[in-house]
Amino acid sequence: MNNSRSAESRPVRIHGNRRLFLYYWNRTKQNKLAIAGLGFILFLILLALIGPFFTADPTHVDFAERNVPPLGFSTEESIYDIKTNAFTVNLIEGTWKHPLGTDGKGRDMLAMLISGARISLEVGLLATLIAICIGALIGVLSAYLGGWWDNVLMRFTDIMMTFPFFLLLVLIIFMFGPSLTLIVLVIGLTGWTGAARLIRSEALSLRTREFITAARALGASDARIVIRHLIPNVASLIIVMATLSIPGVILAESALSFIGLGDPSQTSWGIILNDGQKSLDTAWWVAVEPGIMLFFTVLAFNFLGDGLRDAFDPRSNLDAR
Amino acid sequence: MTDSTILEVQDLKTYFFTRRGAVKAVDGIDFSLKKGECLCLVGESGCGKSVTVLSLLRLVAAPGRIVSGQVHYNNVDLVHCSEEKLRGIRGGDIAMIFQDAQSAFNPVLTIGDQIAEQMTIHGSIDRQAVKNKGIELLKEMNIPEPDRVWDSFPHQLSGGMKQRAMIAMSLSCDPKILIADEPTTAVDVTIKAQILDILHTLKEKRGMSLIFVTHDLGIVADIGDRAQVIYGGKSIEMASVSEIINNPGHPYTKGLIACLPDSSTDSERLASIPGTAPNPIDLPEGCPFHPRCAQVMDICRHVVPKQTIISETHTVNCHLFG
Repeated sequence: MNNSRSAESRPVRIHGNRRLFLYYWNRTKQNKLAIAGLGFILFLILLALIGPFFTADPTHVDFAERNVPPLGFSTEESIYDIKTNAFTVNLIEGTWKHPLGTDGKGRDMLAMLISGARISLEVGLLATLIAICIGALIGVLSAYLGGWWDNVLMRFTDIMMTFPFFLLLVLIIFMFGPSLTLIVLVIGLTGWTGAARLIRSEALSLRTREFITAARALGASDARIVIRHLIPNVASLIIVMATLSIPGVILAESALSFIGLGDPSQTSWGIILNDGQKSLDTAWWVAVEPGIMLFFTVLAFNFLGDGLRDAFDPRSNLDAR
Repeated sequence: MTDSTILEVQDLKTYFFTRRGAVKAVDGIDFSLKKGECLCLVGESGCGKSVTVLSLLRLVAAPGRIVSGQVHYNNVDLVHCSEEKLRGIRGGDIAMIFQDAQSAFNPVLTIGDQIAEQMTIHGSIDRQAVKNKGIELLKEMNIPEPDRVWDSFPHQLSGGMKQRAMIAMSLSCDPKILIADEPTTAVDVTIKAQILDILHTLKEKRGMSLIFVTHDLGIVADIGDRAQVIYGGKSIEMASVSEIINNPGHPYTKGLIACLPDSSTDSERLASIPGTAPNPIDLPEGCPFHPRCAQVMDICRHVVPKQTIISETHTVNCHLFG
């Protein structure tokens, strides 16, 4: 098909009162990776929501069943016997009771991973929500108000940008003790700068468009123009930015947990990973399993974000493919 | 202000403050608008027509600022009243339609959303009533399938439909004055004829006053009752349309009329006014038109001409009549 036609032929396909949502859904749908990513994310959400009802208690410790490998794997455990003064080798095989094995304290890996999924998603979504809301507000206000306000808000953004947020996190956690709420708040309250700048630049080009003047000519107030006219026009950017920043946040929480600054009362993937690295030689699965989960989750969000970006970009010729 | 006058503009000046100096886009415009008449603001590109009408509703964006003048509507000075009061008048009593309907609609909201928004701003709450009235207006604009158009996004409509939908939107709050800023420039001739027809009907039917900004004297002759010629941000001639066409006073107006193609003679080339429009940063001293004027006198180079009354309906700012 020829490329030049696609832009014009698009509107014909969405007629009547099917909304823009359908239009973008149709465009996103063409990206198989994005759909796979979306599928994985939905699966993860479902797992985090209803999984805990079907799995064992992730905090249940059972030393008799420690270091059980995942189903289909086996591992050898040497036990020193005092009576015979010799090592006996026990073969431990994976069981259906613990399909993904157990860790060094006999906790069920499946249950821990599912509870970790909840925490990772919570952290990722909440922190991103905070960051994107602040970023969008500052970006749009900065662009719309312009002049002095623009200067003040953007210099504030610059200052926040130069702040080494990881060090700030370490400092705050050192001072107040590790807690998930604190981690979410700090990531959210410091992670909005990139979004603010991008959204400002987008809104800046919108501000001079005639429909903003037209809206004022209709008697719309500043607040109405920002909420009804500016924000919906940068919504695509906001959605893409949010989707692409979620994996970063999840990784940041894992990294914090990995270096021992996570919330010890929660079994997040980073904390399991941290536990697992100590026993990599005897029970590799404890570290590998949360690693795989992290890998696919981050990949899924990135694929979805890329797909959405293409779908929202009017210049990408999706029909031509 | 006489009874029939609905809007009166006095000595309006809007400057844009740039690094290279103040751009005097509007530099002393006076006119009055009567109930039910169509006043045309005529001038070439960059003469300040659009900024004049934007200034009426205080829509000029920074770095532009209204530096002096008054716009009286209904005993309210629109230049100095509160923002809140002005918001009630914008879109309510005085509505505006723009040159390019494509960019005057928000691309992510449906036509219906945007028409409804205006009514909501000005106090209509009942969604069904709002929709009924909106669709009725679209029908009045000769838009086919108004129900479908109501739910369409701007990019799904043709240019002419959008322009008519915008007129429908501007009428949704029954304005007393409609300001049209070159609404026919971005559309083809058939749509142009339709739009002029619609505006003409509106004026006749609703008794609405119209301020029509254009550079096209053909349109002025077609729709206008009176015309105000603007040059270099200043009013230079104001008269009824027949007087402007048949008996222009100012040399600039004469030049504009002479530029119109005339089918009665078969001259090959169209006439033109020598020179270009003045640079609004550095307006010439005296009469802004004097560098291009064929009948220039010494006084024109130093003294800004005052308004001279030629007849009851005809004033001109030119030393030739002084």
